[in-house]
Amino acid sequence: MPETNPFADPLRFERRVPECAIVIFGANGDLTKRKLLPALYRLAYERRLPASFAIIGNSRTPLSDDAFRDKMHESVKQFLEDSPFDEELWAGFARNLYYIGGDLNDPKMYADLGTKLGTLGKSNVLYYLSTQPSYYEPVADSLGAAKLAEHRPEGWRRIVIEKPFGHDLQSARALNTGIHRVFSEDDVYRIDHYLGKETVQNIIAFRFGNGIFEPLWNRRYINHVQITAAESIGVEGRGAYYQEAGALRDMIQNHLLQVLATIAMEPSAVFEPDAVRDERAKLLRAIKTLRPEEVPLNAVAGQYRGFRQEPGVKPDAQVDTFAAATFLIDNWRWAGVPFYVRSGKKLPKRVTDIAIQFNEAPYALFSSANGSSPMRPNLLILRIQPEEGISLRFLSKQPGSGMMLRPVSMDFNYGSSFGERSPTAYETLLVDALQGDATLYTRQDMVEASWRAVQPILDDWSSRNFDFPNYEPGTWGPPAADEMLKRHGHQWRNS
Amino acid sequence: MSAEPEKILRDLRDLWVQLGHDQEASGGVLRACAMTLLVVAEDQDDAERVRRTMGVLMHDHPCRAIVLRMSEGAEVDARVFAECWVPYGGNQQICAEGVEVTAGAAKLNEVIRLLVPLIVPDLPVVLWHRGGHAFAPGGFDALFPLAGKIVFDSGTASDADAAITVLRELRKRGPRVADLAWARLTGWREVLAQTFDDCTPSVSSVWVTYGGASPSSSVRYFARWIQQALPSAAVGIESASGEPGVHSVTLSGKDTEIAITLADASSVEIRTGKRGCRFKLPPASDDALMREELGIVGDDAVFDRVLT
Repeated sequence: MPETNPFADPLRFERRVPECAIVIFGANGDLTKRKLLPALYRLAYERRLPASFAIIGNSRTPLSDDAFRDKMHESVKQFLEDSPFDEELWAGFARNLYYIGGDLNDPKMYADLGTKLGTLGKSNVLYYLSTQPSYYEPVADSLGAAKLAEHRPEGWRRIVIEKPFGHDLQSARALNTGIHRVFSEDDVYRIDHYLGKETVQNIIAFRFGNGIFEPLWNRRYINHVQITAAESIGVEGRGAYYQEAGALRDMIQNHLLQVLATIAMEPSAVFEPDAVRDERAKLLRAIKTLRPEEVPLNAVAGQYRGFRQEPGVKPDAQVDTFAAATFLIDNWRWAGVPFYVRSGKKLPKRVTDIAIQFNEAPYALFSSANGSSPMRPNLLILRIQPEEGISLRFLSKQPGSGMMLRPVSMDFNYGSSFGERSPTAYETLLVDALQGDATLYTRQDMVEASWRAVQPILDDWSSRNFDFPNYEPGTWGPPAADEMLKRHGHQWRNS
Repeated sequence: MSAEPEKILRDLRDLWVQLGHDQEASGGVLRACAMTLLVVAEDQDDAERVRRTMGVLMHDHPCRAIVLRMSEGAEVDARVFAECWVPYGGNQQICAEGVEVTAGAAKLNEVIRLLVPLIVPDLPVVLWHRGGHAFAPGGFDALFPLAGKIVFDSGTASDADAAITVLRELRKRGPRVADLAWARLTGWREVLAQTFDDCTPSVSSVWVTYGGASPSSSVRYFARWIQQALPSAAVGIESASGEPGVHSVTLSGKDTEIAITLADASSVEIRTGKRGCRFKLPPASDDALMREELGIVGDDAVFDRVLT
């Protein structure tokens, strides 16, 4: 909301969206149905969309506006999370939904789109590419050719693209070059929904809003860091897609390296989009590039038993359903501190967390209950999902005579301290893009830096023939992942 | 005094031990506390309503709730309670604690001596002074220094003007003051503000219509807020038939005609020129309004400006 609004009350009013049109390419797809439309409806429910917004859906299927509205009505009803569905509100919301059928390669479709935007009188336009990645460049080119990508004196044109941003460093660079032929980097919003999660944003608040942790946040006090994103389910019908991606590409290269950057970056001088993204990018660039001979010792690929029997998966698929890697950061703050990152499917439970293991006290004054010296008792756990929150483990004297110590945990539960409904990642990120706030979006240099960090692993794995499957569903991945940490005298937290 | 702070604190500790034992199998209970909330209930029935409201409110603002119920001639007495819930997607029970204090009006000084040690240190203290009697002179003024913020509801007062004057004078003396009658307007205000997001239309006159025999404090606040935002416009209020509260607001000027009208109990329709759109109003239950107020721990500059 501009500061000039005489009725502004930022303490009580939610951030709102300016008058605009959102054009969704791939409007018949799962993402639109499950995430985008429910998020937009929810924004309308909270009075955050202006009365005159417009959503224009596109896909190949011929549909009338009304048929599109009916389809979206069912989807929003089905996939709306933690919110009531209000038919009357929907009726008003649906009046602003429009549909243009047509192929993404057909210039006529873009001409129709231009006409529609002109009829609706929309100068601010957000293009959302919820399509196959192979369409990103052609759609950007076509928008450019149809003169739909140019900023107008009275309005902006932005483009949102979903991951994957390329499938390796080279293709990511080529994609960036292609998109930049039409849109400047300032108008490109690469969405990584992990960064839109409240609890990931809370990492920044936790680190830079408090004075007590930052002095300890370095190689002197932190022994190592573990980042885990585990899923208990398998590929759930996405086998054909997944066998082209794998855990390293699907999770680590983007989501988890962004989380790592949030954990390890320097504080920015101001909380502004480019200042924060500069720090994230600097950190990603500081990740040590593995030499080819270092890869086998620092990266582990796994595949669960049964993956090759999933629909759409080749019987000899070499793709990783589990990936673990050790990253080192070459800067003064983190030199020598391993960051262990892992992600996998069919693991024992669904959990995403970050564990920061502090060094033990310099001298072991006390014995633990069983008489042995307590090892590295201080552990800070930032839980992303489920049960979002923060736990700090420390030693306490066990009741009774004698000085026996036992680890205890101090918990902060996000849900209990702030029971209010949190906006979904897509609600947050859509409002950000519409307001031109790119803080939580990934910039070109960040994408390329994170591909550079994993590229040696991809190169090594593509030249090998793994003896898959190498882990059983319901376990924490292949034994080699444990051995990777054992070599450093560490072990995964499997709880 | 029959209720001793030490005993109440001991009872609270015992309560947590008991809750921990009861829930041991499911990982114990998580204690949550973000503030002390003192609530002055009007009577026995109101105390029951407060308990129900606290049950909802504690999910968003876990606190040590101290509910003060005045009962004519009663000695000071207290009992402890807990409100527990399992958050969505979680498996561990979360609990917040409460103390219900009963006392006769003559025992207010004893009550204050009891309350001081029960306040959770280092966290905000909010006093929710319920009902119309909150605006009577004297009364519970002695409780005010305990709180960093005092919440009233001038909508329950018989004389809106007098109630607003009481709040204005109190604010001038220093404490942060909030009024649920102001929070009831948030939906209306937000919809009106939205029409000024992208441009500032030229407005020369504004009419607010209201239901009820006389303009409520919400209606007065609304008109005053609009007047402060549009100082060159003439802002008037006029009565209409129907339920008390704001019914519509119409802004007119050269090339401008914006009308926001109550469509039903929970939504408004906004009409700008030929375009019309319906918006949902936020819920106006006590727990929803208190949830909004408890979310504001610092100064509320906009309300302060409207109040003073």
